[in-house]
Amino acid sequence: MLPYAVAAWLFGIGLYGIATSRNFIHLVGCLGVCQSATYVLLLGLGYRWGSIAPIFYDHPPGTPAVDPVMQALVLTDIVVGATLTALLLVLTIQAYKRGGSLDPEKLRPMRAGSKSGRGQGSSRGKDEERTAP
Amino acid sequence: MSPRARVALLALAALILLPGAASVIAGLPPFGATIARYGERINAITPEARHVANMVSAINFDLRGLDTLGEEFMLLAAITGTVILLRGRRGEGKTGRAMRRPGRAVIPRSEAVVLACRIAGPLTALFGLYVVLHATVTPGGGFQGGVILASGTLLIYLGEGYVGWRDAVRSPWLDALEGGGALLFALCGLAPMLTGAAFMQNVLPLGTFRDPFSGGLMLVENLGVAMAVAGGFTQLFLEFMEETREADEPDEPGEESA
Repeated sequence: MLPYAVAAWLFGIGLYGIATSRNFIHLVGCLGVCQSATYVLLLGLGYRWGSIAPIFYDHPPGTPAVDPVMQALVLTDIVVGATLTALLLVLTIQAYKRGGSLDPEKLRPMRAGSKSGRGQGSSRGKDEERTAP
Repeated sequence: MSPRARVALLALAALILLPGAASVIAGLPPFGATIARYGERINAITPEARHVANMVSAINFDLRGLDTLGEEFMLLAAITGTVILLRGRRGEGKTGRAMRRPGRAVIPRSEAVVLACRIAGPLTALFGLYVVLHATVTPGGGFQGGVILASGTLLIYLGEGYVGWRDAVRSPWLDALEGGGALLFALCGLAPMLTGAAFMQNVLPLGTFRDPFSGGLMLVENLGVAMAVAGGFTQLFLEFMEETREADEPDEPGEESA
């Protein structure tokens, strides 16, 4: 039962971090923690006592092996998660450039007029950051 | 919304979701006792049917190759989005190679670091290739090998510095690798249809069990994934590094570069 408990704990603590986050980078990190809960859960679901990894090179085919589907899913999860983390961090960079702040609370709607509105927004954001506690 | 209110909202949501979560948790199989029937069947049948030893590769590139194709395009879309968002108005003009900024000191690296990177870089690349090529017999495959290949190029950056790295690793090559890998994977799905077979059906000879050249089409698909992953991850690193550099002239007037 322990792996399931670890997965639930990781997911819960990541979710709590997302809910209380005051910083986008912290938010992305918490999402990563949530995601690692899925790895633990998948690997736990596919595990069987006394089994080998699902690679029949040293062991003849027919040896009890753990569930290969779960391992393939974890592989997919990791690759997609890594690129999505990169995408989210890029969005963070852009939000910081436009708004001058990493705090989700301080996000302002983007103006339609691109150049002047953006310059204004960035300077205002900097002021806010300075006065923020 | 204040942090306290957010936590309260989270607690409320958890309370609402609790009955569903409890029933799912109660329905989970006991840990370590048994595995799903599907995985069991794959373990039993696939070594004879596909002549491959690595079941994870068999699932990713053959049995559920269609899923991997979708994943491949998610990878492509995420990296394309990253590149577009980071480049902004800079466009493609300045990404050819790095310029040394006049008046900016180049921090010297210790000779030990340079030597270690020059030794470890090619070895890492070689190991990445090994992992890619042995996808069907050992733990490994295109995803893992591609990431190892990408980290091999990062060792060039560590040893030779940014300018040397950009001279060695050209952005158009990375684009070609990334897009070409995805294209190769898609073609692997479409090519069998020319012979009247189903989409992504394995039409190449399966080879001998426990030989690197086994699995037929799986090896080609694996190579496509490795190309896409290696190109994509290096591209990500390149774009993030470009973002931290001071541009020769500001990208957009009125905005200082970050």
